[in-house]
Amino acid sequence: MFNLRDFGASIWERSDRKMRVLIALSAIAVAAMLPFLGGTFLNTPVADYGSVLVFPVAIFAIMALGLNIVIGKSGLLDLGYVAFFAIGAYTMGLLGTKTSLNTWEILPIGIAMAMFAGLILGVPALRLRGDYLAIITLGFGEIVRITALNLNAIGGANGIIGIPTPPTIFGLEYTFDNHRLYFWTFLIIILLTIWMIRRLSVRRGGRAWESIRQDEDAAELMGVPTFKYKIWAFVLGASVGGAAGVLYASKTLFISPDNFTLQVSILILACVIFGGMGNIWGVILGAVILGYLPDRIRFLSDARLLVFGIVLVLMMNLRPDGILPRKKREKALPAKDSK
Amino acid sequence: MSESVLRLENVTMQFGGLVALNDVSFEIKKQEILGLIGPNGAGKTTVFNVITGVYQVTKGDIKFLGKSLKGQKRYKITYGGIARTFQNIRLWGEMTALENVITATDTHKKSGLLSGLFGLPISRKEEKRDKARAQEILDFIGIGEYADRLAKNLPYGVQRRLEIARALGTNPKLLLLDEPAAGFNPAEKVELAKTIRKIRDAGYTVLLIEHDMSLVMGVSDRVVVIDFGQKIADDLPAKVQNDKRVVEAYLGVPDDAS
Repeated sequence: MFNLRDFGASIWERSDRKMRVLIALSAIAVAAMLPFLGGTFLNTPVADYGSVLVFPVAIFAIMALGLNIVIGKSGLLDLGYVAFFAIGAYTMGLLGTKTSLNTWEILPIGIAMAMFAGLILGVPALRLRGDYLAIITLGFGEIVRITALNLNAIGGANGIIGIPTPPTIFGLEYTFDNHRLYFWTFLIIILLTIWMIRRLSVRRGGRAWESIRQDEDAAELMGVPTFKYKIWAFVLGASVGGAAGVLYASKTLFISPDNFTLQVSILILACVIFGGMGNIWGVILGAVILGYLPDRIRFLSDARLLVFGIVLVLMMNLRPDGILPRKKREKALPAKDSK
Repeated sequence: MSESVLRLENVTMQFGGLVALNDVSFEIKKQEILGLIGPNGAGKTTVFNVITGVYQVTKGDIKFLGKSLKGQKRYKITYGGIARTFQNIRLWGEMTALENVITATDTHKKSGLLSGLFGLPISRKEEKRDKARAQEILDFIGIGEYADRLAKNLPYGVQRRLEIARALGTNPKLLLLDEPAAGFNPAEKVELAKTIRKIRDAGYTVLLIEHDMSLVMGVSDRVVVIDFGQKIADDLPAKVQNDKRVVEAYLGVPDDAS
């Protein structure tokens, strides 16, 4: 059977440096051209195509990349990832409406807040494993949402309205319906996240996560400080979720606790698993498809979510490892052993 | 034969009402191969687990190079110089053989996540050094040609050897081998015995759990026998073989003697 991942990986491995730069640049160019394809078959029937690309597609991609650090890289099942997204969004909402700070100044604050929340949650929760960790994170996600719902100081059930757009940079104005500009901004954030994850995945850190994912006890007994690396995975994953939250709030200009339900956590988790846990290209693809598909098939009206569900069930049966599964790095054996 | 590397002092390990180890004391000297034997369920693997910090001893103490291991975190014990293999192979299957060993060498790296993220020179330098070291260890154990293959796809015997290589990667002073010959054919056992001696001659101290008597008796400098959690013998291999209590533990007591 045709294997997309191996096909892509072999092209990449056969290319020299110049070729790789070329491939990367053209991939970025294709992604950047997406907003111009609104007139083609890609167009979404009801929602505005440009805005679908920003939310959910781009935001989902950022969040899926972040969740992939936690689940795909180090194997920690986090069912409350939406909490970090909410913390980022509320940081943007509060500081954006109450202070004169702009989006780019709030972005690092939002990331720091999410990382801090990741640390607070991680220190007690990461002493547990598997199912128990999943339940704790699930609870945490709900606690954050319900706190937002009941805390009138941050808008309660009404949420926060009138969140400012990012300030004009290089003469480019972030108006509410300038979806292309938002998309390109988010694309840059996605690229930065990819860069960060790729750098972290090599060498010691990546191996530590990989060993923890495969056999945590063996890792600990081979001298890997597992707790420290699990906390790092959690905190770094949270930072990406926080960044997504800040950007989201600065795009929709209105947030309320309803935006941060358990369903978001589950949907992002679905993106990661659907696309291919542990493979950054896979999870991006998963996020793009799962973010885009519901709007593309909106003409089915009520049957839309049913079809969406069927697609998920079919995919998981046919390709349980996702569209682009985790990379297997085995090289061919040298000829002398091949008989 | 002088310096004591590891000393168990009256170690008792209880799980609720079950006494897995009862007042066990023995020591391992530098560059010694100490065989630890006993019938199934005697408590051999429990000895490994209390040494590596998987369990905390109920009573008694374990001293490694004169310092107590009580309450130490497991990865710190490995950092301090004790490494082990597992009775049931526990390699990281989806990493290559080389990566399995490098991950163990990471124990002694100064660079971590952030220096990797920013590509600091120290991270690059250590990476290069440890890659070379990991390959050396694989060659030393005799499985260098498998370096680039995923651990889970390796033949069984190679996996067992890779477990030893990975433990050596942490640069231990004391190496604990938990049934390294399980499932080996006689020829492989002979090879393994050679490897274990080679490891000792390279300056390591080895504590060996093994069921195969010919291997243990052939390779060990000294043998400790435990039965039902108690030490019943601690002597040269030849003497242990003729020890009455050891024979009874393995073969049972004749009816008319009891």
